[in-house]
Amino acid sequence: MASKSEWQKLDLVIDPDSNEKLFFSDHEWDTIEAAAARIIPTDQDPGAREARVIVFIDRYLSGIDYHYAAADGSGFLRMEGEEARAARARTNDFQRMYREGVGELDAVAMRHGAADFVSADEATQDKILVEVSGAPKPSHVRLDEHEVFYSRLQGNTDTGKSFFDTLAFHVRQGFYADPVYGGNKDQVGWKVIGFPGPSSLKDTMDGTYTTAPYFVQEYDWRDLLLSYDGPETA
Amino acid sequence: MVKKNDPVDVVIVGLGAGGGPAAKVLSEAGYSVVGFDKGPWLRNSEHYSGDELKFQNRSYLWPDVDLMPRTVRSDETTEGRIFNFSPVPSAVGGGTTHMAGWTPRPRPSDFIMQSLHGDIEGASLADWPYRYEHLEPYLTKVEWSYGISGLDGAEVGAGFRSKRYPSGPLEPTKFGEKFYEGCRKLGINAMPLPMSHLTERNELGRKAVNRTSFWNQYGDPTETRSTVATTYIPEALSTGNFEVRADSFVKEVTVDRDGKATGVVYIAPDGSEHEQQARVVILALGAIESSRLMLLSKSPRFPDGLANDSGLVGKNATFHEYLFAVGLFDREVSPALNGFTGNYQSGGSMHFYETDPDRGHIGGGIIATTQIGQPINPILPGKPVWGEAAKDADRDYFLHSMKIGMILQDLPQETNRVDLDPTVKDRWGMPVARITNKPHANDTAMSKWQIDKNVEILEAAGAVRTMPVYLGKEFTGNACHQHGTVRMGTDPNRSVLNEWAQAHSVDNLFVLDGSGFATAMGVNPTLTIMAHSWRAADYIANTYLKGRSERLVLDPISASK
Repeated sequence: MASKSEWQKLDLVIDPDSNEKLFFSDHEWDTIEAAAARIIPTDQDPGAREARVIVFIDRYLSGIDYHYAAADGSGFLRMEGEEARAARARTNDFQRMYREGVGELDAVAMRHGAADFVSADEATQDKILVEVSGAPKPSHVRLDEHEVFYSRLQGNTDTGKSFFDTLAFHVRQGFYADPVYGGNKDQVGWKVIGFPGPSSLKDTMDGTYTTAPYFVQEYDWRDLLLSYDGPETA
Repeated sequence: MVKKNDPVDVVIVGLGAGGGPAAKVLSEAGYSVVGFDKGPWLRNSEHYSGDELKFQNRSYLWPDVDLMPRTVRSDETTEGRIFNFSPVPSAVGGGTTHMAGWTPRPRPSDFIMQSLHGDIEGASLADWPYRYEHLEPYLTKVEWSYGISGLDGAEVGAGFRSKRYPSGPLEPTKFGEKFYEGCRKLGINAMPLPMSHLTERNELGRKAVNRTSFWNQYGDPTETRSTVATTYIPEALSTGNFEVRADSFVKEVTVDRDGKATGVVYIAPDGSEHEQQARVVILALGAIESSRLMLLSKSPRFPDGLANDSGLVGKNATFHEYLFAVGLFDREVSPALNGFTGNYQSGGSMHFYETDPDRGHIGGGIIATTQIGQPINPILPGKPVWGEAAKDADRDYFLHSMKIGMILQDLPQETNRVDLDPTVKDRWGMPVARITNKPHANDTAMSKWQIDKNVEILEAAGAVRTMPVYLGKEFTGNACHQHGTVRMGTDPNRSVLNEWAQAHSVDNLFVLDGSGFATAMGVNPTLTIMAHSWRAADYIANTYLKGRSERLVLDPISASK
């Protein structure tokens, strides 16, 4: 059993423009792509559809070959041992969840008078998602509101969520993850929010990529701090 | 069949902040040392890069919760739920490989909380069996060998310091500038955070090229961040006296009839069981796993777990909690705050660190403004998850929000503890750690007061809307800090370890992580853990293994403290 430190690199590259399906059927692909387009819609800026979020999700669900990019982004890591077993078990659960989820979207669509989710109009698709998510459609964050929050158990992984929450989370990941994973095509997700991300993972490894220009460029600690009278800095 | 290895002088279990300094000190003193880590030995330049999905969402570095679960419950009557509580990378280097790297010093008051405040109802306050002045030389050693940056003289009210920082701080971020502005308006002393991160003009001659800001929860491919895996481990290896056994799970500490530790039993990467005998056993797995291993190590002499005569192993656990307030700025009028920058560091303050009776709680903690995050996982409480509102929230606030966090200093309580889960097992088939915890009233009060203060700072800095996140009904372990489960003290009936972090009842067993800390402090524990380990390792090398023993006699605390 190879240690994580010795996992070999598979020479796999994801083409975001590919329509080849590694996991989804044609109908499942179309359904998830349509739902993703309501989760991050296209407006004056690109949305999930243009970012090729569907490719990202399909590759992730296809097995465990696309879980971890190699550090420099030149391929993907071939997981081994217990980690591979655990990841495979989770992937099986996700595959089942998505298959059943597509069925649920279609079933709810029929109750709303559509043939299936894909053929419903956008307003109806939103109603279907509201029903499947079990919560109203999210409203805008407003600057004139007040709400307090409390800490609670929650993680950054995608496990332990409902189908809808999983889908919404995967769509978000596909929109904003490094393009090596198949989504965020041409960094469109990053451009929408103004994140000046690296042009490649390799550039994050040696100082080539830097966020230094986005720090404060000229400063003196004696001006910034209330009670510091040390030497002048710059 | 258990295979035996040649005996060595010292076994260290866990090669993170606690194990690293001990490995260096003992191997440099000429002792043969074997270090175990259940995780892999990942190489910075080979395995790490700025991949948010891989490090933040797919747990490349954090423990896989299906393989190494923990359970959490709020009291005796509820069932534990599986949760990745207080996740720390399972890898050579431990928490130092992923941590943001805030490394402020503790204050003299941290060591004498019971003397300062007496007995607090519902809490088990105790003084440490040593004081700030005993640790200070080792804090300096760590700052100058591990590599810590800071701005000399900026911390108002700091304890005595024998030497300056070897490196100046990173330049301020845009949101850091806002934080300083808010603090100045309110009369609050602020400072750039001391960090395990060097800058270009450091006196250690190390390179410092990483400004990617892929930082907290990421490994650093450039070694700009100081970690145990890039400092003390290679230094220990260069002596020729140290060996790393990675991917090796220690399942038991063995003892002889008299209760002296004889070594450890471990599962090698190929699944076979081995025994490694040693003259000294050092546990440094972190306060959750060190206490778990002690509870797993039952013997006729210690039926309730290793060195557990007092019954206190696992109890008095403290975890800190990272709480914060977020401020939203109007993108139409405010310049971008660039919350993705800063290598997870910027302005901090210890202005509220010492007890002020007017606040209605004792103690305090460090506060700091830090990164909002990267595009997948930015912090925005109550963020809409889909539709136009979700897209607009990212467009409007990814560059126009900031947060000011706090390290909540939770009071020790005997009922907040680690024990063995009765049903859940890990990948090696061993019972996992179950965490039982409930905040003390003082914790809740501190959270409320400090987060409200952070809101005030945000407002003074120009935030249009603020979103406070207070402590909920239980700790989430989100600070990844662990202490107190194998308490140090002078009385063997009320503590497990003495002032050298040496077990009262097993004189060749030392626990060199945060487990010994009698109280949690209000600062991030890593710097203190490293100095604490170095101090104890000095004692092991120069006194214990020379066949001698020594006790530390503390002066009475003067009224001026």
